[in-house]
Amino acid sequence: MDPENLEFINQLLDKDVELREKIKEQVVEFDKKTRTLSGMLNKIHSTPSEQMAVLLDSVRPTLEGCRETTAALAVLIPANQFWRWKDMWCNSLRSAVYAATLMEYLKSGTLLTLPTVNEVLGIKDEWKDRFTLTAEDYLHGLITLVNELSRLAVNAVTLGDFEAPIKISVFVKDLFAGFAMLNLKNDLLRRRYDSLKYDIKKIEEVVYDVSLRKLVPSISSDKLQDNPI
Amino acid sequence: MATTSLATRDDIVGVFDAFRDELDDHNDRRERLIKSSRDVTNLSKKVIFLLHRVMTEDTTESSDTNLASRAAARAREKLRDVQALFAGMREDVTGDRFWRYQKNVSPGLQEYIEALSFTHYLEHRTLISYEEVQESLSDDDGILYFPLPLEDYLLGLADLTGELMRYAISSISRKGGRSKANEVCVFVRGCKADFEGLTPHFKELRKKQTVTSQSLTKIEDVAYAITVRSSEYDVPPEILDDIVARTVSAHGGDRDGRPSGRRESRRRDEDQDEEDED
Repeated sequence: MDPENLEFINQLLDKDVELREKIKEQVVEFDKKTRTLSGMLNKIHSTPSEQMAVLLDSVRPTLEGCRETTAALAVLIPANQFWRWKDMWCNSLRSAVYAATLMEYLKSGTLLTLPTVNEVLGIKDEWKDRFTLTAEDYLHGLITLVNELSRLAVNAVTLGDFEAPIKISVFVKDLFAGFAMLNLKNDLLRRRYDSLKYDIKKIEEVVYDVSLRKLVPSISSDKLQDNPI
Repeated sequence: MATTSLATRDDIVGVFDAFRDELDDHNDRRERLIKSSRDVTNLSKKVIFLLHRVMTEDTTESSDTNLASRAAARAREKLRDVQALFAGMREDVTGDRFWRYQKNVSPGLQEYIEALSFTHYLEHRTLISYEEVQESLSDDDGILYFPLPLEDYLLGLADLTGELMRYAISSISRKGGRSKANEVCVFVRGCKADFEGLTPHFKELRKKQTVTSQSLTKIEDVAYAITVRSSEYDVPPEILDDIVARTVSAHGGDRDGRPSGRRESRRRDEDQDEEDED
């Protein structure tokens, strides 16, 4: 090989190696934050609904702390190379999506949209070719959300909240209807989507249990009180 | 103002509608690029076979350089078709898209680089540079169709050594084949040495280096055999080649006993047919 060519190649290589190391540093930070988030959010299974808002407020700063990391990564990535490096921070990002959407559900019972998740995590539109939240990563985050909600349905009942599983059931079935619209290839997303039906089954069983035992105040029992047979 | 969160099934299903379109779009694009890449691979392989065929055809062409130029010229015609295929992929790999589909484009790209570098070697006896490969993947205004990944450049070159080994060994029987084999031997040895320093960064390259080593060993064994055998005769190598050539043609050329001249024109017709097919 012509020495000039070899020199050129080595320079390219060195730049890539250096960049990878810098990205790795940020990913380690990102990972720490999302693991902390997961740990803190684990407490929801032992938190009564009246105290949920306080718990969420305590978690929010950590979630917003991710903005520093996303900004740092956006600066590092060269133009148009998002797809080249994204696998390095993929898992942390999906975890952050899960945390953000879970917190919104616990607060308002609704689904946080992708653009809003971007806002929460400080991901700017102009970074699109360097650092962005793809539909696929958002969807993976949602699946983790469903996994967690099926667990919450069970534990909420244990804490005495009998309405929670009903609401969760409606929400999760809406999400499942959404997922059912996608044309998926035989990849990880497809496999995780397939596992959603087991979460739904679990939630349905909880709903069944609380409904039949008349644990949930229903319209018919109220009517019975006013108009005894 | 856009809604920040969704409460109803209709709303939720609505955004998933958009996700479906996005995923469909991506999967369709992926399929298109895989198909194009296969076409690139096929055409590039044909170029390589063409080069081998021209360089080993039975011919009265005495100058090896002229033969190489002829081979290269024909190869370049086909290579232009391959480049046209890459140009056709432009839209699908524009902007930040390229790296999303790099794995799908890679196999064809490497095969193309193998064919291109083989052509380059026959013409110039050197290894084509990274920048020269880039140039071949640019339009008339010098704009790249897409970025050239270093990995694909190196892996394409690693495959070249295999073709050079075949070229060297099939050249043995021809006039001047011995010195050619030696030249290729030295060249491949140099390639292997250059790549060795780069293997820590590319796992695939490490694997291909073992194949390169095997190719090098084959050529080295041949070069050794030549040296030992020629040293038995105290005659210049060109005279040796002549003796061998005269013996072969005196024997009648081919098995049917037909004069070798006819065989040569038959082979030319075969090539012509292939060209008409394309």
